[in-house]
Amino acid sequence: MKIKVVTRIMEANDRIAAENRKFFDDAGVYVINIMSAPGAGKTSLIEKTIREFGNQVKVGVIEGDIAGTEDARRIEGLGIPVVQINTGGACHLDANMINEALVDLPLKDLNLLIIENVGNLVCPAEFKVGEDMKVMLLSVTEGDDKPLKYPLMFQESSALILNKIDLLPYTDADVGKIRKDALSLNPSLKIFEVSCKTGEGIGEWAEWLQSLVT
Amino acid sequence: MHEVSIALRILDIATEHCKREGFSRIESIKVRVGRASGVMPEALLFAFDAIKTGTVAEKASLTIDEIPIGGFCSSCNSEFSVEEPYVLFCPKCGETSFRLNTGRELDIQEMEVF
Repeated sequence: MKIKVVTRIMEANDRIAAENRKFFDDAGVYVINIMSAPGAGKTSLIEKTIREFGNQVKVGVIEGDIAGTEDARRIEGLGIPVVQINTGGACHLDANMINEALVDLPLKDLNLLIIENVGNLVCPAEFKVGEDMKVMLLSVTEGDDKPLKYPLMFQESSALILNKIDLLPYTDADVGKIRKDALSLNPSLKIFEVSCKTGEGIGEWAEWLQSLVT
Repeated sequence: MHEVSIALRILDIATEHCKREGFSRIESIKVRVGRASGVMPEALLFAFDAIKTGTVAEKASLTIDEIPIGGFCSSCNSEFSVEEPYVLFCPKCGETSFRLNTGRELDIQEMEVF
């Protein structure tokens, strides 16, 4: 016999994401979900941002990786509360993984929780985790064709950070094209150009983020 | 790449439904996948076949209804539908004042159970 089910496949994830979000709101912590390809500089951006904040913003970090604790160690070195999630093969973080990691963080003492997603330009965009905003990081060395190749990521994000701009003289990447295509996909996207190597542009990004948090 | 997670969710939802309604076997499941949903139909079929073994859906076939991206443009006052996974401007008049109505679907529609 045929039965009509009509159920959204992401419903369970979205429900847990909403629970996480309520938990964050009750604790008064702003949450961002940083997504990028592997090696774009997510952990470096988090380190630079935390340094830029100094003592003005109390930050906690959740690190998502398939394996290893390399990233969490780097953040721990800054004296910041950090939880490492090893997805054991999964290419993205989902709401349930974040839910389970929350007990290990002093949420009530934090203003900002930064979630570093697994390096991947496809899947993380599909899974809400309870964040206030998704932030996408694209390094210019990845090429200016990325917005049109991975449109969902650009559509889901509130901010786009272009990293490694110190390397622009050595690449053929056209920042104007990245901006134009990204804004066509998402007209309200806020775009920053930074170099985690030289520190250029970090101040402007950190200031904007801080204005949202406090 | 996340099609295995999606396939697991489909199986969970279908199995739960079966248990609740007192059925013991799933013959087929029909889902809708929008072209802008980020899910590759071939990969989803492959993942579903790999994980269904030993479940009530062991013999089940998965049918995917692919939904193209469709929208309405207020500049030329017309509806459009495209095959690409994204739309940057209205394919009829080239303006950007449109809203998308379809293409992000990811849901189970019906299943055949015994």
